[in-house]
Amino acid sequence: MTSPTKSLFVQDERVKRRNAAEKRFHSYGLCAIGVAALALVVLLASVLANGASAFRQTYLMLEIPLPAETLDKGGDRDPAAMASVSTFGYAPLLRDALVASIAKLNIETTLSNKDVGDMISKEAAASLRNQVLANPDLVGGVIALDVLANGRIDGFFKGRVTMESAERDGNTSPEALRVAQLLADVGVLVTRFNWQFLTAPDASDQRPEAAGLGVAILGSLYMMLVVLVLALPIGVAAAIYLEEFAPKNRVSDLIEVNISNLAAVPSIVYGILGLAIFINFLGLRQSSPLVGGLVLTLMTLPTIIIATRAALKAVPPSIRDAALGLGATKMQSVFHHVLPLAAPGILTGTIIGLAQALGETAPLLLIGMVAFVRDYPAAYSETAGLFGEAATALPVQVFNWTQRADPGFVERASGAIITLLVFLAVMNTVAVLLRRRFERRW
Amino acid sequence: MMKVNTLIQPNPDMAVPKITARNVHVSYGDSVAIKDVSVGISANTVTAFIGPSGCGKSTFLRCLNRMNDTIETCRVSGEILIEGEDIYHRSVDPVQLRAKVGMVFQKPNPFPKSIFDNVAYGPKIHGLARNKADLDNIVENALRKAALWDEVKDRLNKTGTGLSGGQQQRLCIARAIATSPEVLLMDEPCSALDPIATAQIEELINDLRENYCVVIVTHSMQQAARISQKTAFFHLGSLVEYGDTDQVFTAPSDPRTESYITGRIG
Amino acid sequence: MWVVELFSSLPGLLAVLALFGLLGSQVRVHRAAKGDLRSLAALPRAHGINAVLSVLVPAAICFVGLSLVKLIGPRLNTAALPDYVVYWTVLTVAVLGCVVAILRSTVNFRARQASEVWIKSLLIAASVVAILTTVGIVLSMLFEAMHFFQQYAWQDFFFSTDWAPNFRGDSSLGFLPLLWGTFYVSFIALALAVPVGLFAAIYLSEYAGPWMRGIAKPLIEILAGIPTIVYGLFALVTVGPLLRDYFAQPLGLGGSASSVMTAGVVMGIMLIPFVSSLSDDAINAVPQTMRDGSYALGATRSETVRKVILPAALPGIMGAVLLAASRAIGETMIVVLGAGAAAQMSLNPFEAMTTITVKIVSQLTGDTDFASPETLVAFALGLTLFAFTLALNAVALLVVRKYREQYE
Repeated sequence: MTSPTKSLFVQDERVKRRNAAEKRFHSYGLCAIGVAALALVVLLASVLANGASAFRQTYLMLEIPLPAETLDKGGDRDPAAMASVSTFGYAPLLRDALVASIAKLNIETTLSNKDVGDMISKEAAASLRNQVLANPDLVGGVIALDVLANGRIDGFFKGRVTMESAERDGNTSPEALRVAQLLADVGVLVTRFNWQFLTAPDASDQRPEAAGLGVAILGSLYMMLVVLVLALPIGVAAAIYLEEFAPKNRVSDLIEVNISNLAAVPSIVYGILGLAIFINFLGLRQSSPLVGGLVLTLMTLPTIIIATRAALKAVPPSIRDAALGLGATKMQSVFHHVLPLAAPGILTGTIIGLAQALGETAPLLLIGMVAFVRDYPAAYSETAGLFGEAATALPVQVFNWTQRADPGFVERASGAIITLLVFLAVMNTVAVLLRRRFERRW
Repeated sequence: MMKVNTLIQPNPDMAVPKITARNVHVSYGDSVAIKDVSVGISANTVTAFIGPSGCGKSTFLRCLNRMNDTIETCRVSGEILIEGEDIYHRSVDPVQLRAKVGMVFQKPNPFPKSIFDNVAYGPKIHGLARNKADLDNIVENALRKAALWDEVKDRLNKTGTGLSGGQQQRLCIARAIATSPEVLLMDEPCSALDPIATAQIEELINDLRENYCVVIVTHSMQQAARISQKTAFFHLGSLVEYGDTDQVFTAPSDPRTESYITGRIG
Repeated sequence: MWVVELFSSLPGLLAVLALFGLLGSQVRVHRAAKGDLRSLAALPRAHGINAVLSVLVPAAICFVGLSLVKLIGPRLNTAALPDYVVYWTVLTVAVLGCVVAILRSTVNFRARQASEVWIKSLLIAASVVAILTTVGIVLSMLFEAMHFFQQYAWQDFFFSTDWAPNFRGDSSLGFLPLLWGTFYVSFIALALAVPVGLFAAIYLSEYAGPWMRGIAKPLIEILAGIPTIVYGLFALVTVGPLLRDYFAQPLGLGGSASSVMTAGVVMGIMLIPFVSSLSDDAINAVPQTMRDGSYALGATRSETVRKVILPAALPGIMGAVLLAASRAIGETMIVVLGAGAAAQMSLNPFEAMTTITVKIVSQLTGDTDFASPETLVAFALGLTLFAFTLALNAVALLVVRKYREQYE
């Protein structure tokens, strides 16, 4: 030993510097976690702030007289005749009802009747018409209805539209907003919780107030069904073969590498595959949940295969040996013993795979889901076959809405994202709970 | 800030012990691993800790260089003095302590670096070398002391993990002594090695005691009898007997010691 | 009557045949056993199952095959396969399966093994789907890309810096601006994600206590589970305007909310959990004995991490970075919403630039004729993208395999 013994109680310079470096390093790590946490908080806060208001909507509570002279000229409630009255016939009824309401409340205003009519959403006439056609006996009486207010009025009560911006806006005016405020003070105009957001179909560009997720949710549901029915059996079957039966040679090695590659392929490539093969080559229908489901199945398959293989690997060999020792065939040992024990892991993996598929957008854009779909798709139809009617999906609807000019759609898109995140949160929580409840530690 | 404790001399005819432990308790969470152990360990001696599995000898060894700090649930109370300074005192930095007290583990654990870098690691982080030539010297000295220099001097750039088991352990010993420690702790250093490698390591330990205070945990009584001058017998977390190796093995004073040595327990 | 309709349809008939096979084979084998079931090589139930599989499996394979032929027919300009051909072929195959199964139901017939052969063939068919997917991906892009290169010179595609498609027919379809945009965005994303993800992983595995780990790990996993459309909207609505108002405009670097920086930052946030969890795996794979050895020599925790753990985990971490790069290159929604559609090559990160994936979407969802080079270029782009990501994944795998330390 060459150096003199130093006391342990004295920290020399070098140790002090090393400890300072240690503290700095520690803080870098903490910072990194902080950055991630901050990003998450800001993301969720911004989505929530923009989208929470989508679940509330502004309505006008009106009493609308339904004169038989205009709506049912024949007088015999003939559906065909009544259907010939278009929304142009109904819009004035709404307008007049609002004008009457304003007059009854003694509100003085410089708005013309047309301007008053503009305060009502253009969508409202269509929904009134649908109601009357469904229930012809309403004609001749008065109907009390919550009528959708137009997007700018709605925006005013949500803070998006102000008196200043109304000056420059072509779709509304400060006077209209003033009248709306007066109506709200009396209770004729209310802003309340809006289920329609989740059930109504999409609306056109000028009517963000009427746009809803009904079609998108239905479309996503159909696609998830297709994925579940196809990807789960095929994925589990493939995983069982690869894990239990396939001989360990170059071919099965190749298949393994292949599957891990497929898991890492960008999702847009699957979209190209769907377009080229399912739509062009096989001639399936564009924008149908069937094609969307098929594309998502191919995307989810590697995830399910990998999760199932992991679950199968986790079952100890002693179980298989015990079954074989009793004279069971290999297949019996797998299906009667190993598979039930691996089931929780398989289920968890499937749910996670489905959750990933639910959020996918890019491949669906390529198979034509960018179009504007107004009708609820039926699960089966004569012309289109199973899941063949044009539909859209939740994330695609979000994308659609971001491409529209009206700023009211930002709120809609954010609200749709909140819905999507809620679905995903539920699915992931179920997966985690399942895993905790059923997982066995060998 | 200097603090000098009064030194305890358990035996007046012995030299001042290098390491003194007083009333050491160690517990992991709720379970107690070491109960009230007090012992004085001498310099330039090989001291063996023996006892059945789970008796706490490795735990106590790891207290001597505060390696138990790395385990979150571990609580240590009592005093352990090295040259009169309590190593568990608040102002002691374990980093500095471990330059003074080196450790060799049961399973050889060379870093996945070159042989040179393995041995140079300690001196580099503690800043013991003034320049490259100095570092080369330190590495060569350590490897010579570990009886490994001749075998690896031509391949200092090759990875340490490419050596045989016995060579790897000697590399770990060289690595530990490169920081010029005063105490060398060895936790069952031969249990993963074959008999020939074991014999080489035992010979090395015998040479090492010239310059270091060596404490070795071993589950082999024969090994303890071969290489140590002092032996401490641990049982169920307590220090049952401590004394000269010859005396402990031929005429133990405690019946539990005798049971262990004759093979009735353990 | 609907009952007649049901039973004369294909599924109904197949069900009837399967039932017939199930019962017929069992009856036959019962008779052959002459009352002593122990003389049979397989239980009657196994014979029954074999019969059902003999009917359904070949029929299903036949049906799928012929349906595909029917679907493809019009495409290849051959006469379409009439429905009744499909119907009768499948029916014949099913009947044959039924008859053969019943005939085989003798005393010594190992029915269990036979049905397992059917099941195994189904399992193999499922595995083949995975291979078919890859084949499909490659072929689908290859053919159309070849059509594209027949109409547009490959040198112009790969080496031109001008991207300006139009309807007149004299578009320039140069790939380089798209490549530039892709790499620039990915670079910024990785510059954010790799340090943050790596340090987060180091902190969580070496420094964090159990309660910190219990909060931070789920937090990072939540970030991982958020769909990219959400990140895209975040980029469009929040990050873009923020960067423009507080950085780009004050610095005089441009006035666009859509920019490389916007997409890069948001993509970086998306990649943090990816890098973090893969690095975490690599760091945890370093055995505890390495750490013990380093601490015992008197190293601080940061020294141990920097000099022992990170070098040992380096192959795994490199693999993580490469995989993250592959993810970044293939990402679509964040760049569609965050980076803009202007194909240009500029050094200013606050300008809008576009990427390969954005153009694939825009060229395939536009109104142009499918056979025109403006649309077909998307396939060439897709093929290039696929090749890049495949190469990155392969290199990642190789790096991890070749340099991973063998600790045992």
